[in-house]
Amino acid sequence: MTSRIAKKRGEWINRDKPLTFEYEGQQVQGYEGDTISSALWANGIRVLGRSFKYHRARGLLSFANHDVNALMTDGEDTNIRADVWPVSNGMSLKAVNTDGGVIKDKNKYIDYLSPFLPVGFYYKTFYKPKRMFPFWEDKIRKAAGLGEVNFNYPRNIRPKRHAHCDVLVVGAGASGLSAALAAAAEGLSVILVDENLQAGGSLSYDYAGDQSSADTLHALLSEVEANQNIRLITDAYAGGYYTDHLVPIVEKSGITKVRAQSVIVATGVFEQPPVFRYNDLPGVMLGSAAQRLVHRYAVKPFEKGVVVTANDHGYRTALDLASVGVDVVAVIDMRSSGAGQDLTQKVKDSGISVHKGSCIYEAVPSSNKLGIKEVVVCPYDENTAEADTSKSVRLSCDGVAMSAGWAPAAALLYQAGTKMAYDYDVEQFVPAQLPEGVFAAGKVNGVFDLKSRQLDGRRAAAEAASYLGKAVQLESFKAASVNRPSHPYPIVNHPKGKNFVDFDEDIQVKDFINAAKEGFDNIELMKRFTTVGMGPSQGKHSNMNAIRILARIRQLPVEKIGTTTARPFFHPTPIGHLGGRGFHPHRYTAMHQWHVEHGGEMMEAGVWLRPAYYAPAGAGLTASEAVQQETLAVRESVGMIDGSTLGKIEVFGSDAGAFLERFYTGKFADQKVGGSRIAMLLDEAGVVVDDGVAVRMAEEQFYVSTNSSNAATVYREMQRNVQLWKMQVTLVNLTGAMAAMTVAGPKSRDVVASLTDIDVSADAMGKGAFRTGKVAGVDARVMRVSFVADLAFEIHVPYKAGLHVWKALMEAGKASGIRPFGTDAQRLLRLEMGHHLVSHDTDGLTNPFEAHSESLVAMDKPFFIGQRSLKILEKKPLNKKLTTFVLDPDFHGEVPNECNLVIDSASQIAGRVTSISYSGYLDRHIGFAFVPPEHSHAGARFQIRTDSGAMVAATACKAPFFHLLESRGE
Amino acid sequence: MKLLECPINGIRPLSEFTYGGEYRDMPNPDTCSDKEWAAYVHYRNGAPGVKKEWWYHGPSGTWFIAERDTMADKVIRTYIAGQEEAK
Amino acid sequence: MQDAVLMSPVAFAHALRKPVNGEVNGMETALSFDAADVEAKRSQTLSICDVSNLNRFGVKGPQAANWLQAAGIKLPGTTNSWTPQDNGSLVMRLGNTEFLLEDQPENDLTGMLNDTAVNEGGVHKVLRNDAAFIVSGELTPALFSEVCAIDLEGATLEENRLVMTVIAGVSATLLKQTLNGQSVYRIWCDGTFGPYLWKTLLGIIEEQGGGPVGFNFYYKLN
Repeated sequence: MTSRIAKKRGEWINRDKPLTFEYEGQQVQGYEGDTISSALWANGIRVLGRSFKYHRARGLLSFANHDVNALMTDGEDTNIRADVWPVSNGMSLKAVNTDGGVIKDKNKYIDYLSPFLPVGFYYKTFYKPKRMFPFWEDKIRKAAGLGEVNFNYPRNIRPKRHAHCDVLVVGAGASGLSAALAAAAEGLSVILVDENLQAGGSLSYDYAGDQSSADTLHALLSEVEANQNIRLITDAYAGGYYTDHLVPIVEKSGITKVRAQSVIVATGVFEQPPVFRYNDLPGVMLGSAAQRLVHRYAVKPFEKGVVVTANDHGYRTALDLASVGVDVVAVIDMRSSGAGQDLTQKVKDSGISVHKGSCIYEAVPSSNKLGIKEVVVCPYDENTAEADTSKSVRLSCDGVAMSAGWAPAAALLYQAGTKMAYDYDVEQFVPAQLPEGVFAAGKVNGVFDLKSRQLDGRRAAAEAASYLGKAVQLESFKAASVNRPSHPYPIVNHPKGKNFVDFDEDIQVKDFINAAKEGFDNIELMKRFTTVGMGPSQGKHSNMNAIRILARIRQLPVEKIGTTTARPFFHPTPIGHLGGRGFHPHRYTAMHQWHVEHGGEMMEAGVWLRPAYYAPAGAGLTASEAVQQETLAVRESVGMIDGSTLGKIEVFGSDAGAFLERFYTGKFADQKVGGSRIAMLLDEAGVVVDDGVAVRMAEEQFYVSTNSSNAATVYREMQRNVQLWKMQVTLVNLTGAMAAMTVAGPKSRDVVASLTDIDVSADAMGKGAFRTGKVAGVDARVMRVSFVADLAFEIHVPYKAGLHVWKALMEAGKASGIRPFGTDAQRLLRLEMGHHLVSHDTDGLTNPFEAHSESLVAMDKPFFIGQRSLKILEKKPLNKKLTTFVLDPDFHGEVPNECNLVIDSASQIAGRVTSISYSGYLDRHIGFAFVPPEHSHAGARFQIRTDSGAMVAATACKAPFFHLLESRGE
Repeated sequence: MKLLECPINGIRPLSEFTYGGEYRDMPNPDTCSDKEWAAYVHYRNGAPGVKKEWWYHGPSGTWFIAERDTMADKVIRTYIAGQEEAK
Repeated sequence: MQDAVLMSPVAFAHALRKPVNGEVNGMETALSFDAADVEAKRSQTLSICDVSNLNRFGVKGPQAANWLQAAGIKLPGTTNSWTPQDNGSLVMRLGNTEFLLEDQPENDLTGMLNDTAVNEGGVHKVLRNDAAFIVSGELTPALFSEVCAIDLEGATLEENRLVMTVIAGVSATLLKQTLNGQSVYRIWCDGTFGPYLWKTLLGIIEEQGGGPVGFNFYYKLN
């Protein structure tokens, strides 16, 4: 039978758009605008889920996403929050956490085992006997989850957006709407956000049987919608507060990161349940839940109901229920003083009896345990929280609306650093000290009267406007006092328990008592031992009651108990939303397309894309074949590599030489024009940071190169030191502006000579020489280098001409069989030459003495970065040295890897391998390793332990490695 | 995320910046003891207070100093090194 | 760069869209992607155009401002601002002592400056390799909201101001100008990031219902 009632003013459903969906195999009718739960409830379906621990049948509790009684899956998505998720045509839904359906759930027997499953039982069980643990683990995993992961979940890109405004108002209830309008009136740009599908907050349901709130709502909403300065975003929640007023607004379509100049938090309060036995039966719900059902969805919460309340709200709820034909049997007021006279009279005039100083001792389940059939009402002592069972009355009903008070939705305020204080007038934590630029208004600020809430919103807006520099008059006003909105202790003790505090985790009153008995009597310990507030609702409906119970156990005032920390996100946020689009910048050299077209296997080298090797389509080369062939080409003929990724910095000025003299370890002040020197950079601790090359192009002009991975760092450090040392130096970063390529091998000179007017003969260009001239008709800088081969030329040209020069060199080298080579071959080639790679062979502690780089250090200079530390280090004995090594000839077996350890005769770690490779040219395995200094001379033997634990013998060896060919008689 | 004011480019989100370590005066390497030098290189004072920090604005390549109260995580002022007195 | 065929940093990224190509300033350039009326409509909605091929000249140093003024260049007065020359060339002041000049296709101010020797006494040439784009259309705020964390509306780019910030993870310079009577945004970044930025921005632009326009749309050369 349907619980849907006649059309209500302002209802959220669209009766012109009916729809059908399936729940637990049953076809259900609803309307566009219904949530899943409202449609189910309208159809008389009351069992919406099974609780996490005891698998008890559950219905609506808050109906506001402050509890997870109704979590469902549609086959693709899981943990859908049915209370607030819109229903759509053709949905097929099941409750999560059941075995065999929500009604027949095979796990419901766990409820009977509950005496054996007290709070924290899992800390003390299952681990003995040890061999049984895998059995228990399997059972627990199956029982402990909520929902099932869909491994075929589609990838949805949900781009993030940025937005900016003067004032962000969080919450569009009475105070939020008023604050937004007042701020907009000052000419400020306002973003107003509310998590509900429509704005209005409690103005859209807390009517107490009359229309005045609805009128106020209509007036405020029309003004807001017409105001150009206000951007209203509904169906979106503020995920958290981050430094300097950054608030992510989470919508279904993605996250908008709002950077506001000021924030007004008008987020309202969470209704808290009174605690009595079986307060979790389907049909027992919070008063505000019943009101939402009635006014937003036109659904009767139940046919015959009892209202139990510890504040005035129950009376308002009773009036709303009566106005739609619910037979309200009685209002049970836990307060001996009852409510105000007017409100009480109104309720009585509706034919509802009022029982002051009474409580529900227990709700009685219906025969199938899936609903409620009656309640037991007793006189109640507020001081002892005890019911007088000698004088009980049974009231038959199929539903209960319960109210006890409110907890502030203050997560954003806490995250912003607000100091909250407990206000005994309203029995609620309220903001006591707000951080700069953050303001609070409305119920979250402890203001409950409707008119006062609107004034409070205007007051907060005025303060925000003033903070932003507007000339506004700040008026203070006195909030109208109301009957205490929250009850200090709305708990009814019961010897048999099952009086629930946290519905997510099935936590009852005795769980707190037991936890305290075990010593977990501090709020942080209590939380973790009982798990109160650790479920998906994160304590929205339970934390305040938990604090009150602990306060009573400890006999301390509430503010001495404190609160735990509410962390972002306010509601669970999909990872995809947090990921957004994901920007992954890449840098491309001028020759990129050529590499791709010629089979270059492109790899990320930092943000650059570089070819690791070339395997052209149809050539049928494996990676290692390609690398060996490329290496051989350089050794025997000629190869070319794209080195555009090198850092390139021009250093100008009258202090240029002096600057490099201080910056690097070598001497540059007297470097001759046209010559190059290695530029080794240390940090202040004397650790090697980079080794590049510095060329003097003119008296006041140097051209410095760095390792690709260090380009940005070196340029940055140069800039810092120029500023610090106040030197006359101008730096120009040409890393992206110049293309570079290295032609290497015995035939490299011939190839380059054919394209250039520069004299590249052996006499004219010795090692390290630098010249400028034309290559392939383009202005170029040419340097003779020896990183990968004895004879090699590094050519730098402006980026625009890079591809042209590259192609010209490839053409000129055709006759010599020129091969392009990639970074894999480069790595092997430099190893054969005996050159270590900074940050690959060296680490965050390696100093020049350990890395065979003493010759690059001019200790006699007055100052260079790292010098003072080297003076200390050179007095200490070395404990490791980077050494070139070779494995035995005809080595077979498991080849050691980089990072395999060197083990000494006492089985201690004595070093590690930093590079190792098989060289086809030498037919030997060669590498670099850190070894104890006594094992670093040529011929010394040491042992390397492989991944599998086998020991491999290695011999320290002179570099470059080519002498190994002589010993083979080549 | 936090905002930081570059003296040249204005207020920007922290993601546009690189932290450059605490700004400390270097002891005279010629006259200080080994111990003093080692403390300068390796020790940092972790006590909360107003610290001078190096910050680098990436897009414009600007180095500057920020004086930050590390207890409240509030930046008091920023300036180009050597131009503290500038307005 | 005589006799050399020069490539826009973004050239290969265009190829996927099969534009009509041509040569501008010695560089292969996408002249148009679609019919003129399609491109016109697109530029009203949201469009991006690669103008990396415009000639540029960079200079920095303590004497750079004086040197430029001596050469008859009108300079922007304040840090991080720009000014047009009478002939339409753009002069940008990046920070305090660095300048970037960009010629529009008809003029040749940068060529003249490039030919002068200028690496002495506090004035130093900066070799440029920019990827440069023109973005226009009423949906530009929606594009920027996805790729930039700072507010590019309001006063930020008014009164000839320019900003150096991060766009889609890449350092970039932006300004707003009027071109052919239309309000457009200009973006420059390091040329090696050009293909990435083109592809990333174009992808978002197409999601919003816009697309690429060719060089001819703004400069109607060929």
